[in-house]
Amino acid sequence: MSKAMSKTISQISTNTSVTSAKLIQGLIRALILALACWVLSTPLTTVTGSTAAAIGCLLACLWADKQQRTGTLLQLRAPALFLMLALALVLISTVTSLLVQSAMLANMLGAIVLYQSGQSLFWFTLAATLAIALRHTARRHSWGALPELLFVACAFVITLAAHQRGMIDRPYFIGDFALIRGLDPTTILMAIGVAAVLALAILLMMENQHRRLPYHASILGILCFSLLFYVQFFGLPTPQLTNDLGLTGTEGSGSNANNDSPFRDGENNASDREAPVAIVLFRDDYEPAGGAYYFRESAYSEFNGTLLWTAENPDLDQDLVDRFPSSPIDVSNEVPAQQLRRRVTTTIGLLAPHRSPFGLDAPVRFEPAPNPNSLRFRQTFTVESMVPEFEFPDLVGRKAGSSTWTLQQWAEYLEMPDDPRYGEFARQLTATLRPEFADDPYAKAMAIKAWLDENGIYSLKNEHAYAADPAASFLFGDLTGYCVHFAYSATYLYRSLGIPARVGVGYSVPAANRAGGSALLIQAVNGHAWPEIYLEDLGWVIVDPAPRQTLVDMSVDPQDSLQQLLGDMLRDDAAFQAFLQDQAGASAINWALTLRVLVALAFALLLLAYAIKIYRGSCIAWADERELYRLAYRAALDTLAAHGKVRRTGESREAFARRISQPLPAFQTLSDWHLASAPGYAFDPSLLMAGGAASASSAALGLNRQQWQEQVAALRKQLHSRQRWWQNALATAHPLPWLQSR
Amino acid sequence: MQVMEAQTVHSTDLDSAREVMTRLTQAVKAQVLGRDDVIELALIALMSDGHVLLEDFPGSGKTTLAKALGEAIVDDQPAHDPSDPSGRAYVPIVPFRRIQFTPDLLPSDVTGSAVFDASTNRFHFRHGPIFAHVVLADEINRTSPKVQAAMLEAMGEKQVTVDNQTYLLDPLFFVIATQNPLDLVGTYPLPTPQLDRFLFKLTMVHVARDAELEVLNTWQSRRDKHNARIHVGRTEILQARHAIDAGVYISDAIKTALVDISRALRADERILQGNSTRSLVLIMPALQVLAAMRGRSYVNADDLETLLPPVLTHRVELAPGSSDFVKILRDCMRGPMEILARGTLHPAP
Repeated sequence: MSKAMSKTISQISTNTSVTSAKLIQGLIRALILALACWVLSTPLTTVTGSTAAAIGCLLACLWADKQQRTGTLLQLRAPALFLMLALALVLISTVTSLLVQSAMLANMLGAIVLYQSGQSLFWFTLAATLAIALRHTARRHSWGALPELLFVACAFVITLAAHQRGMIDRPYFIGDFALIRGLDPTTILMAIGVAAVLALAILLMMENQHRRLPYHASILGILCFSLLFYVQFFGLPTPQLTNDLGLTGTEGSGSNANNDSPFRDGENNASDREAPVAIVLFRDDYEPAGGAYYFRESAYSEFNGTLLWTAENPDLDQDLVDRFPSSPIDVSNEVPAQQLRRRVTTTIGLLAPHRSPFGLDAPVRFEPAPNPNSLRFRQTFTVESMVPEFEFPDLVGRKAGSSTWTLQQWAEYLEMPDDPRYGEFARQLTATLRPEFADDPYAKAMAIKAWLDENGIYSLKNEHAYAADPAASFLFGDLTGYCVHFAYSATYLYRSLGIPARVGVGYSVPAANRAGGSALLIQAVNGHAWPEIYLEDLGWVIVDPAPRQTLVDMSVDPQDSLQQLLGDMLRDDAAFQAFLQDQAGASAINWALTLRVLVALAFALLLLAYAIKIYRGSCIAWADERELYRLAYRAALDTLAAHGKVRRTGESREAFARRISQPLPAFQTLSDWHLASAPGYAFDPSLLMAGGAASASSAALGLNRQQWQEQVAALRKQLHSRQRWWQNALATAHPLPWLQSR
Repeated sequence: MQVMEAQTVHSTDLDSAREVMTRLTQAVKAQVLGRDDVIELALIALMSDGHVLLEDFPGSGKTTLAKALGEAIVDDQPAHDPSDPSGRAYVPIVPFRRIQFTPDLLPSDVTGSAVFDASTNRFHFRHGPIFAHVVLADEINRTSPKVQAAMLEAMGEKQVTVDNQTYLLDPLFFVIATQNPLDLVGTYPLPTPQLDRFLFKLTMVHVARDAELEVLNTWQSRRDKHNARIHVGRTEILQARHAIDAGVYISDAIKTALVDISRALRADERILQGNSTRSLVLIMPALQVLAAMRGRSYVNADDLETLLPPVLTHRVELAPGSSDFVKILRDCMRGPMEILARGTLHPAP
């Protein structure tokens, strides 16, 4: 009991000694909370609403601090307070909905005004109640700072969470704002992150010792600065690399050195499926017949004893390019059937590291392209491709392979595991072909593809990875696997029928993703492997099994806005710049008007300040005689304050007079007069009541108006003669001495 | 209307009170050189019915100060008439006594004791040295706690009880106790509650060079001028006390500041134990005396700033690790003093 009493006593007494440090602390905390409120409310309401939320939070914080100092709020029990707050919130939300729904008001004020005011009212109250509850908890409990910190932290985390995994256009309100002004939203987000760290640190430290604050804050500032420095020089964290076969994010670090089989790429977890890995700009319009764009990065064609692998024989796969172009690279192997193909130029910007450049099937020329944003794009290059526009008649009746190949090449393209089941199975599948197609390689391949389409089951589970021949394990097993299994199985089946085949690796993007624009976003989920066969005079033709049955949902959001944004960034052409400038002009604040209003406001405030200064300086001429002791002294204080002579906090009036009166004896007299005439200081104020006007304060010393005026004038004269001319001029021009005098 | 009367008291009696104090100051200053601040505080203690504890090195003028003060007071009117109708025992009061406290001193050595008188076959009370206007309790920390207790009891209650018989001390009973800050071996340091009975604890420092030279130059003349001293009557002092008490106004603002400062002190984490309420009660007359000495009829912030350090220094216990009480006090005073200062421009309605 006594302990509790002494505690409250000590609390009250500490509360009475309000220091300015505490005020500043409270202000900083209120600002941080208000910022968090603003950030949290921005996606949920209009600009007016979120501004109202910030203001509400700020005011409520300041109010709660003030209340807690005087103790009214301290007396409330927490449940009572929270109940009151909840009631207030319910009340206000009811009022808001009534406001918005009432037709009469809407007719009078206009629906938009009404909606805006409703929003601001509601958000103001919400933020205010939240702030009061937070501040109250923080004061009352030892763990009370935690909700506050969590609130601030979650504001920033929610803001930044939308930005992860390469979604550089999220959150939209920041992305749009920045991109329209030609900024990188990353900078803003970085700044927000830094602000969050600083804010949290300040909040945390305010709970303990604010004396350490400057040191910690500066160290934190340096850390944050070094983070910015790091980003500037070493780039941004990019989406995780997908390995050659796409889909996987677990180990991908650019090279699958730890991974000697495309089957052993670990469990495919789909966490990074949406991560953008590249953006393709179409310089020529092109819609693929098969419904998907195939970008070949590499191919597996050489059998290394256990499976197909990247060809080491330079004679094989001469259509592949394995280095990024620093100067134009022409694909060494001429693409056949030029009359059946069309030239399509694309520009590709890589967002994640890749080992080799890729392009639309079939690339003929790689050229370096200027990188418009080296922080964003890893590599940019332009690819010219001869895209196939084969019709069915073009494909049938062709011979497999090329007559120009050497025996060595033929052997390499047909080599496969020594497993008779492939051949038997392939012959079994092709046995039912109509007689006219019985010897046609394309028809055979299509038959096998059709069977795989029908019977294969798509799954991300990888249960065949450690079988001696994973493709056989898949094909003659449960037929459940992903693209690699299908691709290898089909390739082996084709080869067993004597059709030269290989596994193409790269990306396959549904044509619908392009959504009519000229940009196409390649996401991690688009990583793919497919079988392709070589037909005489046509080149490599993709015959890609597409299983009907699937165990996983591989559909992802095509990220149209991100696609558009990245495309625009990569394109970086004049039209886009013009659009941006146009947008900036349209949405920017009218600076001229704002400036004019601000200047007018400042001028009005200045006038007001001078009016107050003049009034306080001259009111002794007509004020009530009883008030003269106070007003004349105040006028003297104002005069001194204009010259920068201000009483220090805690300094007594007597000490101030001693300090000042060294060169200004008139002030000592004034101060003595003032103090000796102050009721409640030098004599009992009830004397005023008892004696009436006759024994009023001025009369106590027998001072009349003239004496006061003369004394103030004497002080001004002394001051004027002591100071230099420019000091006097400054003091005359000083608009706000009355704010400093006390 | 009562206040108006008080105001009239101020104009006549307050002046004479001031004149009494001036004379006393002159009397002491003639004997003690270079100690004007200590003399002033000792005088304030005397006028405000408090006691003083001096802490200084040997031979620094403590005894001289006490003796000068004691000898300046003359008994111009017998305190207790032998024909007092109340029938109390006649107490002869002498102006000045000095008690040298030693470890083997007994309480009766201080208060006096009943002695058997063979001629009348009765016990009669032999007054101890404490029955004086000014008592110098030299080296009070050298004696046993029970003697200290007897002494402090007398200081607090202004009376002595021996053998169930209570003997009143004179209203003008003023103790100057001294203790040596060094040589602490074999002493009984006064605990804080006992220190609380002293209005001031003054730490004297060595006098300035010029003052010390002056002491050497004039010690003979001062000794010879023994008889040509200024004297102040006991009744005059008592009247001055009354005049000051009635005539110097302590505003509510000052009282508020006093209370707020001591609350701030008690709440300060650098302070283990704050000052007592008694200290606030004791400081009020002292503030009035100081205001009167400075020629004012009201107590102001200056008086507070002057008196708070000597009044409070020995009444608080600092927490381990903090040493500078005056700095702590200044911190704690800032808020209340600011409120006090602002109050004069913004009078309460």
